[in-house]
Formats: sequence, structure tokens, C-alpha cells
Amino acid sequence: MFPKLDPLLHSELRLAVMSILVGVDEADFTYLKKQTGATSGNLSVQIDKLLAAGYITVEKGFKGKMPRTTCKITTAGQEAFEGYVKALKEYIS
Amino acid sequence: MENSKEQNKEMSAQQSLDLISETLNNNRRCILQNSAKHFILWGTLLLAFSIVIYELLHVTRDLHWMLLWFAMPVVGFPLARLLGKKGTAVPQNVISSQLHYIWLAYCVFAVAISIVAMFEMPSCITLLLVALLGFAECYSGLLLKNWPIIIGGFILGVGGAVVAMLVRSEAQLLVFAAGGLILAATGLIVKRQYQ
Repeated sequence: MFPKLDPLLHSELRLAVMSILVGVDEADFTYLKKQTGATSGNLSVQIDKLLAAGYITVEKGFKGKMPRTTCKITTAGQEAFEGYVKALKEYIS
Repeated sequence: MENSKEQNKEMSAQQSLDLISETLNNNRRCILQNSAKHFILWGTLLLAFSIVIYELLHVTRDLHWMLLWFAMPVVGFPLARLLGKKGTAVPQNVISSQLHYIWLAYCVFAVAISIVAMFEMPSCITLLLVALLGFAECYSGLLLKNWPIIIGGFILGVGGAVVAMLVRSEAQLLVFAAGGLILAATGLIVKRQYQ
């Protein structure tokens, strides 16, 4: 029997965001937007969902005079991502 | 695969793995391309300072021109900061952080050794600095898994140290000019590799 895929990660944009965050210390909103090609509104909604699940932390601050939102993956997020990739591999093999 | 992930569509297992792989690769490429800019900046500065100081020493024979080396971090760090502020802020990954720390450590060593040399001028200062420069370059190549950079660093460190033992006075500065060239070339290689 195949393991159940995490529904939170089994969405294109959220998975892209998690794939970026898993490889970096932290990333700001502008970078995530540029890398995913998503609109600000949609990206905000998906980030909020990941935040609510405890997969990422979001810090709002300023870089100079410009507002800056920084996202960072949590340990729970890393574990969920690893579990998701492991489950995907089982589906394929 | 389309660039925008706007649809939030459901994907097959293979599509999900492809998306993860593509995103990880794009991200890594973006971060390492950003590191390349710094190699080019510091390489160009090292080359320019070496040649200018060499010419000034050659013409005037006044060793005080060596103090100009301290202007290099003064010029370099604000320029590096400006480079970081330009465009979208690129995050750090494990490799770019390690590159950052190894070159920061080299900078601290170089400045500290140069300050000591101002009071007690050791004949081996060029040898020391160029060997450390080659080591930092070689280590960067190992991190980036890039043979031209590893070999370039080895040639710079060992070859530069030998040349520093053989030549005297201002001619030693040309070793640093070669170092600057290799450093800038490293940046160009990294930029091309991750384009």
C-alpha cells in the first residue's frame, strides 16, 4: 500500500516554495516570487498555509526603508518535505 | 515545465519530483551566480591594486605606497555591499556561506599580517599571503567541485610561493596581480558554469 502524500505539499506552488527553502538559510518574499513566477497575492496565501501548518516561519522587518518578509523552513517542515520525497519515490518505484 | 506555479494544480508523483529537482537546481544556480559576482569584484580589485602599487613603487622607490593595500578593503567592502543590494536579495545556501566565510577569513588574515609587517617587515610576507590566497582559491574549487579552480588555486598558492622566494622587491607584487587574474577568472568560470 502506498503512503499518503502530504496534501499541503502536493500543490505546485507550495512545493516550489518548500523546495527553495529546504536549500537555503532563509529567503525573502521577492526572491520566492521571482523564482516561482507566482503573483504576490497567491504566494502570500500559500505562505500563510505553510505557516499555519508550522512548516515555515515568517519574519516581517525592514531592509533599509523597504519592508521585507523573510521565510525560513522549520524542523517540522524539513521532516515533512523529506517524508513527502520518500513517499513520491515509493510511488514511482 | 512552465515557469509560473500559479495554478496550484495537483501533480503526478513524477511531476512533483521533477518540480523539486528543477527548483533546487534553479535555486543553486541563482545563488552560485551571485557568488561569482564577488569573485570578479575582488579579483579585479586585487589586479588593479597590485599593478598600481607596482607602478608607484617602480617609479618612486618609496615603500610608503605599500600602505595603499589598506585602501583595498575600504573600497572593496562598500562595493560588495552595493553589489548585494542591487536587484533581488539572493539567499545563502551551505556552499555560498562556506565561500563567504573562507574569503572573509582570508581577508582578516591578510589585513592582520600586513599590519604586523608594517612594524617588522618580514621577507616572507608575499609568500605567506599568496600561499593563503592559493589555499582559499583551492578550497573554493573543492566546494564548487570545479577542477579548473582547484588547479588554479594550487598553481597560485604553490607557484606563487616559489616565485615569491625567487624574486625580490616590487616584482613580488606581480604575483598578486596573477592572483587577481585567477580570482576574476574563477568568478567568470562559476558564472558560466551556472548560467
